[in-house]
Amino acid sequence: MEIDKKKCVGCGNCHAVCTMAAIYLDEDGKSVVNQDECVECGNCYRVLRNEGYRPWFVRLIRKILSSLRLGYLAEVDVCPTGALTPRQLDWPRSLRAAFSDPSTVHPGTGVSGRGTEEIKSNDVTGRVRRGEAGLVVEIGRPGIGAHFRDVEKVAMAMARLGVAFEPMNPVTQLMEDEKTGKIREEVLNEKVLSAIIEMKAELKRIPEFLRELEKVQGEVDTVISVGVASRCLPDGTIPHEGWVKKTGYTPSPNGKTNLGLGRPLFRED
Amino acid sequence: MTNTLHRQGTIENLRNDYVIFAYTAKGINREGSAPKLREFLKICLKHHPVNIGNSRQGNIHQDDIDIEQLILNQGDGEGAMAVFTDLDTLRKVVEELIQADLGISINISGLLKEVNECCQKAGIQRHSVEQSLGFWGARDRLPEREILMFHTMCGHGMVSFNLIRKMIEYVKLRRLTPGEASKIMAKCCECGAFNPLRAEMLLEKVRKGERETR
Repeated sequence: MEIDKKKCVGCGNCHAVCTMAAIYLDEDGKSVVNQDECVECGNCYRVLRNEGYRPWFVRLIRKILSSLRLGYLAEVDVCPTGALTPRQLDWPRSLRAAFSDPSTVHPGTGVSGRGTEEIKSNDVTGRVRRGEAGLVVEIGRPGIGAHFRDVEKVAMAMARLGVAFEPMNPVTQLMEDEKTGKIREEVLNEKVLSAIIEMKAELKRIPEFLRELEKVQGEVDTVISVGVASRCLPDGTIPHEGWVKKTGYTPSPNGKTNLGLGRPLFRED
Repeated sequence: MTNTLHRQGTIENLRNDYVIFAYTAKGINREGSAPKLREFLKICLKHHPVNIGNSRQGNIHQDDIDIEQLILNQGDGEGAMAVFTDLDTLRKVVEELIQADLGISINISGLLKEVNECCQKAGIQRHSVEQSLGFWGARDRLPEREILMFHTMCGHGMVSFNLIRKMIEYVKLRRLTPGEASKIMAKCCECGAFNPLRAEMLLEKVRKGERETR
């Protein structure tokens, strides 16, 4: 994202809306985007309604009010002059939008958001089957963001365990080699709001996976959201819970439930 | 996306937070899914959700979004979602969806025990479950728990920590009501997973200086 300095009146509304706190006021009193930190999520552009005022008019009104020692409290969800300007994104910067802008569809997976399906369609895809655990490790969430060099550290640690990375996942598709978890060199310095490493393994390997994650978490300069999924037993029991608890963790009381209403239902046998 | 997986809160305030979403799978039932997704949205709308939308078109709290038009414009796609705040309504929605037999995957994010009971009352057995194991890594970079309760209602992270702080401040200063502030936050969440009613209740508590306890 860029801010047109000819239009910006320095109201600061975009500063708070920015998901990465990457917008600040420059010495000239106009807002500017830190391009290294901007993840191209487009949130500022979508949320702040363009009021379409001419910059000179807004500045004049402010000057008059200020000379009368009066203030004007603008609405918080507007850009008075439409100064926010989306830019043309070339590779590899375009990856930022692909991973951070929920309205962008990943070309490799056909899914928007972070580009992953996990168990949301498990009733028809059979992605996670009986006896298996779906493991999702989201680097950068909540709200901190991540560089792919951090994503790579976690992916390589997971690869050492020999887990199977989900092929229909945008992080897997950036790997040079799925056996090592190595990510393509040219994207390592790109920053995104978050990226999800998605894999599966036998349920009994959950403790091993969590122990490895415990080791690598200290090596990344961001946060990680961890999730575990499995196909329920015929009586509705959640098979992964016992394995998670055995490792000393408590799964959240809330979570995602696939009701099994999709058709054609995937049959394992 | 794990959009609705890591919602933070107390058991008490999570009781007002159920996200139901339809999902299609590419190459299996996505193609030709438009009428099914429209029907899903219509069924949800009938039961007055506090939020509804999809990531392609936005949600009802955004400027210039007309829900009837959003439904009409719903094409083949990965899905749509709606947010409800009580189990009775959720159960009615589930029962209607079973009746409609849309053939697309239906998921619910919320308290698992309650959702399971809802499924059983509706006569179905849950298929798969995903749970959060919390936040790892550099947790010292995270803000306080109250901020995270708001932030995680949009799993794509579109409701920034700074906006939440600003909204709390504005509510405390009575520049905005909790309802107005929660609507501004809901605008940011593109797909409609944000629960503005729960946010309003949380803001009301913050305004009074009450703390959420587990």
